[in-house]
Amino acid sequence: MIRQSWWKILAVVLLVYTFTAGMLVPLKPGIADVSPRALQAGTDVEMTITGYNSYYTKAKSDLRAWLKLKGDVVLKATSIEVVDDRTLKLVFKLPAYLPSDSKDDVCSLILDSPVDGAIVLPEGIALTQDSVNLAEGSKLWSVDKMDQLNAGPELTFPYRSVLYETIRNQYFHVPLWFAMLFLFIFSVGFSIRYLRKFDPDADQRALALTRAGFIFGLLGLVTGAIWAKFAWGAYWSWDVKQNMTAVALLIYAAYFILRGAFQDEEKKARLAAVYNIFAFAALIPLIFVIPRLTDSLHPGNGGNPAFGSDDLDNTMRMVFYPAGIGWTLLGFWIAAVSYRIDKLQNKLLDA
Amino acid sequence: MNLFSQIGILLRKELVLELRTGYAISGILLYVLSTVFIVYSAFFQGVNNAMMWVTLFWIIMLFASINAIVKSFVQENGNRQLYYYSLLDPLAVIISKMVYNISLLFLLSLLTWAALAFMVGNQIEEFSAFLLALFLGSVGFSILFTFVAAISSKADNNSTLLAILSFPLVIPILMTLIKLSVGATGMLEDTGVGKDIGILVAIDLVLAGLTLVLYPFLWRD
Amino acid sequence: MIRNRISLVCVLTLLVQQMAFAQQASGDFMRSIGRIYVVVAVILIIFFGIVLFLIYLDRKLTKLENQIKENE
Repeated sequence: MIRQSWWKILAVVLLVYTFTAGMLVPLKPGIADVSPRALQAGTDVEMTITGYNSYYTKAKSDLRAWLKLKGDVVLKATSIEVVDDRTLKLVFKLPAYLPSDSKDDVCSLILDSPVDGAIVLPEGIALTQDSVNLAEGSKLWSVDKMDQLNAGPELTFPYRSVLYETIRNQYFHVPLWFAMLFLFIFSVGFSIRYLRKFDPDADQRALALTRAGFIFGLLGLVTGAIWAKFAWGAYWSWDVKQNMTAVALLIYAAYFILRGAFQDEEKKARLAAVYNIFAFAALIPLIFVIPRLTDSLHPGNGGNPAFGSDDLDNTMRMVFYPAGIGWTLLGFWIAAVSYRIDKLQNKLLDA
Repeated sequence: MNLFSQIGILLRKELVLELRTGYAISGILLYVLSTVFIVYSAFFQGVNNAMMWVTLFWIIMLFASINAIVKSFVQENGNRQLYYYSLLDPLAVIISKMVYNISLLFLLSLLTWAALAFMVGNQIEEFSAFLLALFLGSVGFSILFTFVAAISSKADNNSTLLAILSFPLVIPILMTLIKLSVGATGMLEDTGVGKDIGILVAIDLVLAGLTLVLYPFLWRD
Repeated sequence: MIRNRISLVCVLTLLVQQMAFAQQASGDFMRSIGRIYVVVAVILIIFFGIVLFLIYLDRKLTKLENQIKENE
């Protein structure tokens, strides 16, 4: 029934893995909110912390927290009250002076728990002092030391304050692009083969691959728009990558219109193959060159971090790469089915 | 007859045809002037912003070049195509068309610049950079439109098809050109000029190479 | 066929209205539980995209079947 089906089975297995691991692995515990965010030197502050995915009641007395300034200067929280799993109340006794030569400074908050691991809220809290005294400040702040931070739970996805759970879209939105690109590359391969051998079969394959690639591109654009709405604030943010992908889809939409403009099968196949190769060459600057030179909200562009240590840690890689392969294979499956139907149709028309 | 003499003969033919009728140049010139006029009267307060000037310039150029290049394949009817086919190398045909269109578009862009400077005022400060942008733009536009016009001429010179096929393809070139030209107005202290020129040259080269490789497949009927 | 298409359009319109209503009713629905519903929406879109393609293939096959019947 399913011809040479091993890769289709592989696609299903990889996608099942993607969906289970991608949806079930929890996010790393994080700090969702801190209040107040502006502290005055020389006062006692009670700070309320709202955690995300945290288990404060399990850790209880083993919890520790510090405010951290530049140069590893820390101030330990004097008392920590666990309200519930998601809420903590910390008390900091701030010294009269800051170890800083200006009136304002920013510090980060570090929370350590044997259950959730060490969590850093980077540069989220503002400090102010009325007068500057660097020497006294340095002395006052050098009392506490930060030691032996706990490692968090092993199998987690990174916690990002804007993304939260949507970081899982990495396995559903991003691989669509990989699949689209592979489908287009193979389609160009078949177009080249058509022009060398004038084999109508190659043209049919190129058409089916382009169709599948176009569907994946369209889905990538729509899912990207949804994700953008809740990460960047608008469905269409006029981001370079969004624009370029829309243009790429227009180019390929023109491919289908071009095919529709000819009656003669041979002419249609020949011109479509020529245009497909030309369009793919035009696609390369659109997808690879221009977005990298212009500011973009996407990672990996215009100064944003690439799929580096931060956005794609090892746990995510364990899901992301199989997801990419799985979605790509699914794309080829879709293309194969559509090709076989086209072939049947042509056979019937000829008969 | 080798390739170069064929190209030379075809170029002379285009030039003679053009000089005899004056159709393309005068038509395009009229088109540019009336577009500038309409657009200028639409912006009541005038075009005082460099970004607006540059965008206006390239949009006029875009439509003017499409009009100019469509003509290059419209005037070739089926019989003449057949005649070329029996006599000439396809490379000679496409190269001569590309060279002719590049010079036509470059001339046209200079005229558009002059017309805009006359009617709206000149916003360009770095002349050499803008001239380079004009040249690279003419090369990119003419290669792309010549190729797409060759495709759409196979579909009975379907001009809708020409627009559908060429507009998405031209967007990356157009965007880079606008960026480069805005740099030439002296409005931006942009260091990326070299990169933009690099992109344009790369796009132009790739398109030219592909046109040369692929045109022989378009040509046979 | 046309009736099918009309009913499909009706269902889609209803769905969109429902979604708009849901958004009005609880504006922060999509942002609740760590924005997990954004992921759900993305997966649903991919699912419906593939289903739509399936419908397209199905219609193509129906035509082929009818043609085979005619030929016989």
